[in-house]
Amino acid sequence: MLAERARRGDEHAYGELVRAYQGIAYRTAYLLTGSAADAEEATQTGFVKAWKALPRFRAGAEFRPWLLRIVANEAHNRRRSAKRREALGLRAAAEVASGDAVPSPEAQALREEQRHELLAAVNRLDERDRDVLACRYFLELGEEETAQVLGVRRGTVKSRTARALDRLRGELER
Amino acid sequence: MSELEQALVALGRELVVPETPDLAPRVLAALERPARPSRIRLVVVFAAVLVAVLLAALAIPDARSALARFFHIGAARIEVVDELPAVEPQPPELDLELALGDRVSLAEARQRAGYDLLELEEEPDRVYLGPRNSVWFLYGQPDAVRLLVAQTPRLSVDEDFIFKKLAAAGTTVEQVSVRGKPAYFLSGEPHEVFLVDEYDLPVLETLRLARNTLLWEEDGRTLRLEGDFSRDEAVELAESLR
Repeated sequence: MLAERARRGDEHAYGELVRAYQGIAYRTAYLLTGSAADAEEATQTGFVKAWKALPRFRAGAEFRPWLLRIVANEAHNRRRSAKRREALGLRAAAEVASGDAVPSPEAQALREEQRHELLAAVNRLDERDRDVLACRYFLELGEEETAQVLGVRRGTVKSRTARALDRLRGELER
Repeated sequence: MSELEQALVALGRELVVPETPDLAPRVLAALERPARPSRIRLVVVFAAVLVAVLLAALAIPDARSALARFFHIGAARIEVVDELPAVEPQPPELDLELALGDRVSLAEARQRAGYDLLELEEEPDRVYLGPRNSVWFLYGQPDAVRLLVAQTPRLSVDEDFIFKKLAAAGTTVEQVSVRGKPAYFLSGEPHEVFLVDEYDLPVLETLRLARNTLLWEEDGRTLRLEGDFSRDEAVELAESLR
C-alpha cells in the first residue's frame, strides 16, 4: 500500500500518492479559496506537511480524508490571510458536457439563468455555509468524510448542512 | 436528496476549476527526511524572540512601569495599563482581526466554536473567532488591552519541552496548577509560541500581548491568559473560568 510505504519513508511511493490525490486536493483547496494561486500553494504545502506528519498517520486509516483535512486547513489559513474569498465561477454553457438530448434554446436559456442564480446565492453565503455545501455537494463527499475534512463532528455536518440549505433557499427567494 | 441538493451537485460539476498543476516534482523537492515519531503526540515549543514589530502593530505597550490601578474580572484582580507609549497609528480593529480572527458576538462564538467555551463571569468587551476554531475574549479596548483569554481545541502541552526551551530562552517558567491540571506561568522576556497541531506540525502562535502568560490544557483544548497579572492572580482568574 502506497501510504504505508510512504509512512516508512519511501519518497517514490509518496510521489505516487501525490499524483493520485493532487486532483481532489487541488479541487478542494480551490473550492474553499476560489483562488487558483492560493489553491496551488495550499495543496503543495498540504502535501509537504502531510509527508512530515506521516509517521503519525494511523496505519489502516483512510489517507484521503486525512490529506484533505490538512489541505483544507492550509486553504482556510490562506483565505484568512487574504481576508477575502473569491467568488466561484461557472464554465460557459458550451463547455458543459451533456449526454442528454440538446435542449431547446428557450430551455437552455432558462437553465443558464437558474444555475447562475444558484451560484450567485452560494457565493453570497458566509464561509462556513459555503464550506459545508462545497464539501457535501461540489466535492460530493459523504457526511463522515466532510466531518473529517472540516474537523468537526458528523452531527455538526448534518446541522450545518441543514442550516446552510435553509439560508441558501432564503437567498434564492430574495 | 432534495431538488435543491441535486441542483447543487449538478452545479458543482459545472464550476470552473483550473486544471490541476502537477505538484509532485515540487512536493518531492521540498520533502525532508521523515521526522522520527514523537514519543509525545503534541508538543508546544516556546522560543524567545523579538516582538517589537508585533507590539507596534497591536499598539500594545510593554510598559509594566505604567501600571497605575487595578480592576477585577471575575474573582481576580487585574492590573490596568493607563499610559500607553507612543506608537505608529494603526487601525486597531483591522490589526486585531489580523492577529486574532474575525470579530463576532459572544453568542455567535458560542454557536460557531464547535465546543463549549469556558467563560469568565464578566462578559468580554470583544470576541474574535480565529483559525482552528480558536476563540479570543478581549477585555478592554483594542488600543488598551487589559486581558486576553484564548482557547484553541485539539492542542496540548509538552512540559519537558517547555522547560528545556524556555530556560535557555530567558523566559521564566513556573509550573502551577489550574483545577488540578498542570499549567505554566511564563514571565520575563517576550516570547512566541510554536504550537504543534494534531498532525504534530508546528504552528507559529505569537503571544499577542507579550505580557505574562498562563497556559494549560483542559477539556481537549489549550487555554491561555495574557495580561499584566501575577502568577497567583492568573491562576485565580483561570480557575474562575466556567
